[in-house]
Amino acid sequence: MRKFTFILMALFVGVITNAQSDYTKSLNGIQWVKIESNADIILKTHSANELLIKSGPEIKIPERAKGLKLVGEGGTDNTNIGFSVVQDGNTLIIHNLRKNKKGEIYLPASQNVAVKSTWNGDIEIDGFSGEIEADAQLNGNVKLLNVNGPVTANSLNGELEVVFGKVTQDSPISLYSTNGAVDVSLPADTPANLALSTLNGNVYTDFEVQAENKDGLKSVLGRDIKASINGGGVKISMKSTNGNMYLRKK
Amino acid sequence: MEKNHVFHQIPDYLDGNLNKSAVAEFEKHLEQCADCQKELEEMKTFFNVFEEEVPTPSDRLKAKFESTLEQQKLNQGKVVQLESKPSSNWTGNILKIAASIALLVAAFQMGSLFQQRKVNEDIAQLQDETNQMKQTTMLSLMENQSASKRIQGVNYIEEFEQPDEAIIQALANRLLYDENDNVRMTAFEALVNFTSSEIVKTTFIEALEQEQNPSIQVAIIQALVQIQEKKAAEPMKKLLEKEDTQPFIKDQIKAVLPSLT
Repeated sequence: MRKFTFILMALFVGVITNAQSDYTKSLNGIQWVKIESNADIILKTHSANELLIKSGPEIKIPERAKGLKLVGEGGTDNTNIGFSVVQDGNTLIIHNLRKNKKGEIYLPASQNVAVKSTWNGDIEIDGFSGEIEADAQLNGNVKLLNVNGPVTANSLNGELEVVFGKVTQDSPISLYSTNGAVDVSLPADTPANLALSTLNGNVYTDFEVQAENKDGLKSVLGRDIKASINGGGVKISMKSTNGNMYLRKK
Repeated sequence: MEKNHVFHQIPDYLDGNLNKSAVAEFEKHLEQCADCQKELEEMKTFFNVFEEEVPTPSDRLKAKFESTLEQQKLNQGKVVQLESKPSSNWTGNILKIAASIALLVAAFQMGSLFQQRKVNEDIAQLQDETNQMKQTTMLSLMENQSASKRIQGVNYIEEFEQPDEAIIQALANRLLYDENDNVRMTAFEALVNFTSSEIVKTTFIEALEQEQNPSIQVAIIQALVQIQEKKAAEPMKKLLEKEDTQPFIKDQIKAVLPSLT
């Protein structure tokens, strides 16, 4: 009997510690989820209509921090796993408060998300069909895989890699990088109006596009390529100031 | 005797219309009456003037006149004939009908002209309303929570040939204050087509002072150099002095600054 109680206790404690490493919150009435982080952010889909933050196995809280709260840029840890989650109207604002702790966040596929990496963190978003805004403000890379919706992505020194699923909406897609390469894969049959431009980089593509002749008028950003593919459609604008651009058929 | 004056018989006598007894009686009276003699003389002179001094045109004259007339007719040609025809009664009626039809047509044309003008006004008003609607759509899209929608709003500028100040100002606000880099970049790309506007020039200079994204910085620098905006030199020098300005921006500024100062 005592042995059994011990096992039960152990299980209970195990469940509690396990629960501490995950954080969930219902997404009822939430239109946008905004995430800001210094470190890497990985965004994945799941089927429940709730926010799930997996913080990974090891959370080392310094002995001296006992009874204290983690405070960082953007808020106070109210999840016990180093994140601050605050609801502002129909927007849920999430801050990763640890400077170098990777965050793995799960959201329903149709959720509109805006992710910002403020330092070295990479942004990886996989499988979302809602609107996506990704901004790597300093050195982070942006990698968007199997996305369908309107995408607005920007990076400074990092690369911008986007692999589109089926693109059917009419809201524009905008992908800009200053020093990194812009690498985009698009289904071959996507109806779109493309605008590609680089200042110091080169454009490589297997789509049928060519530079526009503007009767001697040079565009401000040096090289402007405008083309409509498959009869024209959603406006896709890509720009890299110093990096190369790769546009691939998928 | 005087009562037997024969004045009334004088014309008949002169014409030889009196019978012999009357003539004898007339002449018998005439010998005794000086008045009647005098009257007869005057009458005779009067008739003589009539008979001798009204010349009848000779046949030659008549022939000559006729031939001249013919000549004239020939000279005037068919015009005379054509002119003479409409003067007849039924052609006059046709003319009247034609005139009324012409009037009707003219009135109809005028009516349709005014109608057209009205329609044009309506179309202009409709276009105005469409523009108004586009403008409202554009402005409201630019306030949207979604960056993609704001970009869509900014791209609406392509719908306007001559955007008014409100639109330019709204775009300027996007370039200056939008939190999303892509929206600011798109706003810049929209504004760069209107660099003749003073608002755009001052906005670019202001944006150059506060913009953090190097891609937008370099684009603004190029645009300002292209229009040779001298006021851009100051913010460029400031950027040169800043430590966190990207090296390629500094190179760019060093290259173009001499052309502005």
